Amino acid sequence: MSTHETDVTAALKDSLDGVTMHTPIDEIVTAGRARRRRRRVVCAATGVVAVTGVALGVPALSHPSTAPPGPGVSTGAGAVHIRTAAFALDSQADGTLRVTWDKEKYFQDHAGLQSALRAAGFPVLVKEGVFCKGPRDDGYLSPSGAGHGVERVVHGERQRDGRVNLIFDPAAMPAGKQLFIGYLSPAQLAAVNGNPGSVERLVPRSGPLKCDTQAPPPHVRDNGENGPVKKGG
Amino acid sequence: MKQQEFQEFYEASRDTCLRAVLAGVGDRQLAEDLVAEAFTRAWVSWHSVRRHPAPPAWIVRTALNTRVSWWRRRRREVALEDGHDVAAAAAETPGLDPTLLIALRRLPQRQREVIVFRVFLDLDTRTTAKVLGIAPGTVTAHLSRAVTTLRGHLVTVDHPEARA
Repeated sequence: MSTHETDVTAALKDSLDGVTMHTPIDEIVTAGRARRRRRRVVCAATGVVAVTGVALGVPALSHPSTAPPGPGVSTGAGAVHIRTAAFALDSQADGTLRVTWDKEKYFQDHAGLQSALRAAGFPVLVKEGVFCKGPRDDGYLSPSGAGHGVERVVHGERQRDGRVNLIFDPAAMPAGKQLFIGYLSPAQLAAVNGNPGSVERLVPRSGPLKCDTQAPPPHVRDNGENGPVKKGG
Repeated sequence: MKQQEFQEFYEASRDTCLRAVLAGVGDRQLAEDLVAEAFTRAWVSWHSVRRHPAPPAWIVRTALNTRVSWWRRRRREVALEDGHDVAAAAAETPGLDPTLLIALRRLPQRQREVIVFRVFLDLDTRTTAKVLGIAPGTVTAHLSRAVTTLRGHLVTVDHPEARA
């Protein structure tokens, strides 16, 4: 920090020097204990492993008692709500999972997404720069990078503010299958002008997969421009 | 052991975290609620939070990501549009400059977040960049712009004669 900045930042810090926390630690601990008890009850009742933001290495976990009750969001036992710097995951009342991405961080924290989806009951395998398919997959990909049947388990919705919502449906996943998501690496993204940004396929949950680093071709619309981010179509 | 360790952490960092969150949200009571909520979550997950490279940053990041009371907050956000309610809320806390909170609130969100972590938590540029998920150079640029904006305000406050 330059001298030019330190005088201002020092004055800024000084200006809030008189602000002190009034909440006694007993209140914090009491609330924490109650919350832990509730979490144990929920886990015992549903058999769902509690998901913690810390366990996922993410900044925050929204607690059902404090999460914003958005439309369609499930707030019952076993509901999962995860907030990270890159995305938010909320289980919906209809059993689907809504993942909302920050556009600027769309291609970050792949491991966090995989952990969050798996914890929420959606079988998924996420990789970057590597693209996998099952042994009997014919290799088909739609222009937006989706393989056969992907649209049944996930679809994308681009919001007017630039955010992209992905809706995952665990109930629609065929038995023995999981969703593979292969995000293009930065170099691969540059080669396709950012579209498609990823490849999705339904692959076997067990057994060997055929994987390579061959990125899909650019998604070019009829007017010569790259198309929108839209999965499952 | 856990209780004592957490208590020491709370005593040592609560005021710093509160000031940082206050700088981020511009509302004294909301900031206290958010920080209390974040510390509660930290207590629940203390075995993990204690290993975080910067636990106060975890608290502040969690507080800023948390909506303690959705409806209450929405009501406040509507009320705070003109800034007068910020002044009223700040007036309840002796020594708190209401116009400074207004100036902080008027900064773009990213600049305000850089102020929160870089200035109030005293994180270095690299750590701030990591916490916010942006490039170190972006942190530097945001800080510079925020300081330029706030300089006029702080100079005016410290030297009222400069208004003439």
